[in-house]
Amino acid sequence: MSLVNLRGRAAWIFEEDDYDIDLIIGVRNIKITDVTELAGLAMADYVPDFAGAVRKGDVLVGGHNFGYGHPHYPAMRAMRHLGIACVIAESFSPGFFRGEMSMGFPLVTCPGIRAAAVRGDELEVNFDSNEVRNRRTGKRLPLQPFSASERGMLDAGGLIPYLKARIAGSKETP
Amino acid sequence: MSHTMTEKILARASGKESVKPGDEITARPDFVIAYDFPGYTDVFFKETREDFGISKVSSPERFVLFIDHMVPATAPKEEELHKITRAWGKEQGVPVYEREGIGHQVAAELGYATPGAFVVHFDGHVSQLGAFGSFAFGARKGVIESFVTENVTLTVPATVKVELVGTLQPGVMARDVFHHMVRVMGPASCRFKAVELCGPVIDQLSIEGRQTICGQAMFLGATTMLIAPDAKTMAYVAGRSKVDLAPVHPDADAVYERVVTIDVSSLEPIVVVPPSPANTRDLKDYVGVEVHTGYLGSCASGRLEDLRVAADVLRGRRIQPGFQLHVVPTSRAIMAAAAREGLIECLVEAGAFISSPSCDYCFGRIATMSDGQRAVSTGTLNTPGRMGSVDSEIYICNAAVVAASALEGRIADPRPYLAEAAAAAVGAAT
Repeated sequence: MSLVNLRGRAAWIFEEDDYDIDLIIGVRNIKITDVTELAGLAMADYVPDFAGAVRKGDVLVGGHNFGYGHPHYPAMRAMRHLGIACVIAESFSPGFFRGEMSMGFPLVTCPGIRAAAVRGDELEVNFDSNEVRNRRTGKRLPLQPFSASERGMLDAGGLIPYLKARIAGSKETP
Repeated sequence: MSHTMTEKILARASGKESVKPGDEITARPDFVIAYDFPGYTDVFFKETREDFGISKVSSPERFVLFIDHMVPATAPKEEELHKITRAWGKEQGVPVYEREGIGHQVAAELGYATPGAFVVHFDGHVSQLGAFGSFAFGARKGVIESFVTENVTLTVPATVKVELVGTLQPGVMARDVFHHMVRVMGPASCRFKAVELCGPVIDQLSIEGRQTICGQAMFLGATTMLIAPDAKTMAYVAGRSKVDLAPVHPDADAVYERVVTIDVSSLEPIVVVPPSPANTRDLKDYVGVEVHTGYLGSCASGRLEDLRVAADVLRGRRIQPGFQLHVVPTSRAIMAAAAREGLIECLVEAGAFISSPSCDYCFGRIATMSDGQRAVSTGTLNTPGRMGSVDSEIYICNAAVVAASALEGRIADPRPYLAEAAAAAVGAAT
């Protein structure tokens, strides 16, 4: 398994800076563990039937310092269950970034993205050329490349498989 | 070559001569700390055993677990989680502390906050161990790496140096200072950076006040925050430190990404208004807003100086009828010390509801608010729904403001009460 380039519609543009991701499912729901139930609640405070409108491979677009606050996991679990493939944001809060990347979920830092996309635009994320392209406007924006371990984690599909591979590798080559 | 505290600590922990910002390193934590929480510790235990086939963690003496959330349990499955934690600790030879207080505070009391130590937790508020000169950060679920290897992978952060100068006015506390930093610097100003905090204000500040500030590093976007150890630090850690490490100080010509100087002389008490910890405002602009409940506690506040200042405000008075004032000392040791000082008696007589230490008030698991209610709180976060209904509101402020607001049933300025208490103390002494 390896990180693949992505192509999907912007299912939502979070205009806010310092966005607290708990608001995606509502703080009242963060103790829910059933992912189907969480997915049904996603964005319910913003728009009716968000879940019904999302297609597998869609992406989210965020502002600066996306994931500020306490970066609990249920919101992105719900989003992944709906088929959301990544978040592309101006910048991320470090706790959120570390936590979700370790789930194997790409968080793509791309300055300028918020102004360059509207809801429904089809966006391409190319991890070879390190750029995001808006297929509607043709605009290309550079994305911030991942570090070696971040890339390794995404290639492996998350921290657990990444660590397993690393441990296995270190045993083979003493 | 000159280095910041962060660079020195991470160089040692990664076994390198030196490291620089941007280097990706694999470093060995001196301590791995966690509190039990569903989806975190229970999953770490299971993954360690089942995914990695590891029956015993390496160097269990580096690990420590706290049971501070869901204390006391209100459902069998919560107690079940605690049982899993206790059993794992016993099996692994890892100490489990329960009902001792909020782990981030108890960790300091027990000596895990050793100057120069590299510490990892899943929860970012562990940054408060930086008050003792540790580099302590929240790796979220990435902490599993330290369960199944000896190490954790991270990128060496650049350091932002923040120098706090001037003199704090009476009634202005560490809590105000931190949220003022957010106001001046911005909630994203230190993203992925370490903050080194220094200056005469920090020199003057108590250990408790330093813990308060360092523990909130995430709300500046920072990975963590550190204060170079001084005589106060060394006096605190003497006889406690779990490892023998040379304290680490920054080099005089260390290279910082940025140096920020903030004069706090004109700072007045603040209030952080909903819906985000990014929203620092002047208290005076919110005085008079009706509030229904107050929370004095959490890993950020709830220490002796917070309880003392609340007692100064409340001594000999009664809180507003119908107002719910919850006081939760941060640790059992703090609660006992407060009892010895007569603070508990004073707070109870004023009408406060006092609980043994628990994290549960901070996230509305108990003392839950309903629609339309408003709280003044020393908790960590004011996201809608954090302490109950999403239609309730949380105004974060210092402990004295919570106490004064409890007296008036409205957001209130504590300084007149504190001035009166100070005058009475002088009168009593003469």
